[in-house]
Amino acid sequence: MSLFNRVSGIWRWLVHRNRVEADLHGELRAYLDQLSDEKIRQGMTASDARRAALVEIGGIEQVKEACRDQWSLRWFDSVVADVHYGFRGLARTPVFFLTVVITIGLGLGLNTTLFTLFDAYVLRPLSVPNPYSLYEFTWTNRAGNGHVFNWPEAESLRRQKLVFTDVLTAQRLLTRVDGNQLFGQLVSGNYFTMLGLGVDKGRPLLPGDAATPSSGAVMVLGYDAWRGKFGADPGILGRKVYLRGHAVEVVGIARPGFTGLGSIPAEFWVPLTLAPLVAPGRQDALFLTVTGRLKPGVSVQQAGAALGVWSKQMTADRPESERAVGTMLVSRATMIPPAPDLLAAMTPVFVAFALVIVIACANVANMMLARALARQREIGIRVSLGAGRSRLIRQLLTESLLLAVPSALVGLAISELTLWLAQHAVLATIPPAYAFAFHLPDLSLDFRIFGFVILAALGAALLFGLIPAIQVTRSNLTLANRGDFSGSFRKSRLRTALVVGQVTVCVLLLICSAVILRSREHMSRQDLGFQTRGVFYIRVSDAFRTRVAERLRQDLGSGAAATVWRVPLHGRLRTLPVSPVGSFSSMLAGYNFVSPEYFPILGIPIVAGRNFTPEEARAEGAAVILSEATARLFWPNRNPLGQSIRIARDGPPNQWDKRPSYLTATVVGVARDAVSGYIGDGVDSTCIYFPTSAHAPGNESLLVRMAGETSTANRLLKSAVDRVAPAAADQMAAMDEVLAIQLYPFRVMFWISLCLGGLALLLAATGIYGVTAYLVNQRTKEFGIRMALGATAGTIIRAVLSQSLRMALWGAALGILLALAISPFFAHEMEAVDPYDGFAYLTGTLLGMIAALAASFFPSCRAARIDPAASLRCD
Amino acid sequence: MAQQTNLLQGTLDLLILKALAVREMHGLGISRRIEQMTNGTFQVKPGSLFPALHRMAEAGWLSAYWGESESNRRAKFYRITTSGMRQLVTETEQWERISLGMTSALRTT
Repeated sequence: MSLFNRVSGIWRWLVHRNRVEADLHGELRAYLDQLSDEKIRQGMTASDARRAALVEIGGIEQVKEACRDQWSLRWFDSVVADVHYGFRGLARTPVFFLTVVITIGLGLGLNTTLFTLFDAYVLRPLSVPNPYSLYEFTWTNRAGNGHVFNWPEAESLRRQKLVFTDVLTAQRLLTRVDGNQLFGQLVSGNYFTMLGLGVDKGRPLLPGDAATPSSGAVMVLGYDAWRGKFGADPGILGRKVYLRGHAVEVVGIARPGFTGLGSIPAEFWVPLTLAPLVAPGRQDALFLTVTGRLKPGVSVQQAGAALGVWSKQMTADRPESERAVGTMLVSRATMIPPAPDLLAAMTPVFVAFALVIVIACANVANMMLARALARQREIGIRVSLGAGRSRLIRQLLTESLLLAVPSALVGLAISELTLWLAQHAVLATIPPAYAFAFHLPDLSLDFRIFGFVILAALGAALLFGLIPAIQVTRSNLTLANRGDFSGSFRKSRLRTALVVGQVTVCVLLLICSAVILRSREHMSRQDLGFQTRGVFYIRVSDAFRTRVAERLRQDLGSGAAATVWRVPLHGRLRTLPVSPVGSFSSMLAGYNFVSPEYFPILGIPIVAGRNFTPEEARAEGAAVILSEATARLFWPNRNPLGQSIRIARDGPPNQWDKRPSYLTATVVGVARDAVSGYIGDGVDSTCIYFPTSAHAPGNESLLVRMAGETSTANRLLKSAVDRVAPAAADQMAAMDEVLAIQLYPFRVMFWISLCLGGLALLLAATGIYGVTAYLVNQRTKEFGIRMALGATAGTIIRAVLSQSLRMALWGAALGILLALAISPFFAHEMEAVDPYDGFAYLTGTLLGMIAALAASFFPSCRAARIDPAASLRCD
Repeated sequence: MAQQTNLLQGTLDLLILKALAVREMHGLGISRRIEQMTNGTFQVKPGSLFPALHRMAEAGWLSAYWGESESNRRAKFYRITTSGMRQLVTETEQWERISLGMTSALRTT
């Protein structure tokens, strides 16, 4: 039968069902009449003839049923009946239905959310032709550091055409374009042509744009930036925008969804040849990444080997420490390459989510098991009436599917909702100065994810439906008819294990969120050692720094602005090897370059000695100020003032490092300890301040103290800077916001773990409630007898509670053990996080226990209300 | 009345096709015709006749329509289709092979 016939058959079946039945009925009636006629003709009376005919047919209904069995669409009937019956059954127990659907939905929804994010970043390929042939390449030196390319090296690699058909080079550029903070890329002229990428409007960058240095003042703007920051201005093409004080013409809008290569989405692209204009100075010297398209048929291993030889030739005449010893080829097909270390870092998150899903599954399994047991009698009766085993299993599976479809829908809704909430929550809580850096890739649901959810829901429902179905149909008929399964079907151990597991996971997650909450509290309360309030930083390139500092001095008075190499709270301090004079051991110590105004602006007191003099600052003289901790470390119990430190040379510095030009320096002062690196590390263990001034090259930012409202201060600063040159500053933010962004990951982690912990608590509580209720139900007769013998309500409640308490105690103990077992992995990650925080353990455990006891209290009260007479009468 | 013989699976289909090969008939007609063709050896009860007719109609060997019986009553008539005719030929050949084989087997001493 062709598909069309099949479908039209089902259609006819559905539409003409009544006619088919009437037809069958009429056919048999006619047969009966004909048979009676025949008998009358043979001489019988009308009534005798009819009776004899009926006897000969042997029951019209049976014949009809036998005919129906021959119809090929008969199965459809039984499906309809099963669905109908299933709906009726679920409608009778709406609480069960809703709990199962919501529990599976929650588990699936969370899973889907996580998978959607993972997919968007790690799995989904870039929207360019043949993305899997794109590899970023660099060589590594003896120390294992990746090489940062300069222009001649990149050009040489491109001309080689060893393993790549073509090579593009790019450099990140974070700056302001017409007052909008944007991430951009300086790219080689072949960027768009090599990727094989068109544009939405205008034209892409072309090799001609990057022909000669300092030429090509053109820009392709990202689609989202165009819509979000430039109001989707249709007349943007041909307009001039300002990029670090230089006018650049917008020639194209990139395709929607294209955000460049790599994990940070780019919002504009300008030719690399603009670098001397927009990124001058040593500190901003080109540090290029190169990405090539592998020739067809060349494997990654072959490419790595060939490039290894090439790198060794390239670096043969360089100092030992700079020679290439290895190569790195990283796929650029997705935003984040799915490398093993990334997966390892993601593991705790995956595990936490998986644990919540495990609880959800345990709950559903428990509920289905209890329901299957409650239905034993019904099924027993159906088996005695002749229902086949396959027929019964089919019916139970149909009911499972009735649970699966709404569960999948709920799961999808929950995942959409959580993604939406997460995006909005982040946008609402992130410090405004950093909101620009928050980009989510396209997270809309695609068919793969939809299919994944549907399949997962089906799998879950079938699994939970099938196991009870098989067990039930295997049960003993006579016992089943009585509704007695105590002999053949005792699953109490499995059930107890499920509950203990739930409490374990719940307590573990609660402990984790308590630890994170406490460390966040600890961090936000800790004394930074300086004042962030009212201090702003302006990141400005060498070309404008002197002029901006001068302008600020005129506007705000002398001493209002400090020059600093690296703004505090921007990650761990850079280090250099130093040794106190008189000691042979050299060590890596954190350092920074600051102008004398740095200490008063941030309110860091000089506790001994003096601040830098203006002369030292201007000349970047050989004087240093140490933090108290550093002084204590170098010269324990001695006066550090007047002592000297020696600075060792460990090969050439990185291009982005600023190093002092001298090899020994005298200690002129000691400053109070401060948290100027990463807030999670606490007070700097070592910090050496070298003098600098606004005139010195290679610094990054200016610090300004402003009175009044943040927004007013921001506006004032912006106008002051823009008067120097349009869009001269790359970045501007209040130090309060810098602090907030440092704390932000902890805030996010706390909320995620709190949500997971809360969910785990809720699920565990419903699970315990369900199981206790079921157990109470099972022990009704026992409780009745005990009460008849004189047990009080209190005794009964105690009996039920002690049973739950035992399970909860086991769970809590296992949870604590697990938390202690995983703590060593996190113990040395951060100073501020104490994975052995006793208070957090206590809170988490208590919360879990209280929830478990509360959940079993209500069923125990019901047990206490059992009427002994009634319970003994039943069955 | 002849003794009721248990119909071999497939035999009934063949008999029905054979009966209908001559002309269209209603249920009772088919049952009487088979009785007559087999000299009363096979009496087809409605309990097996009608399911067989429905199955064969599903298979496309027969088509059904409502018509007038000889006694002017409305009755459902069955007609053999082209594919039913083909089926009759194959089943006849098959049956002849089986019966030949059975006969020679039973005659062997």
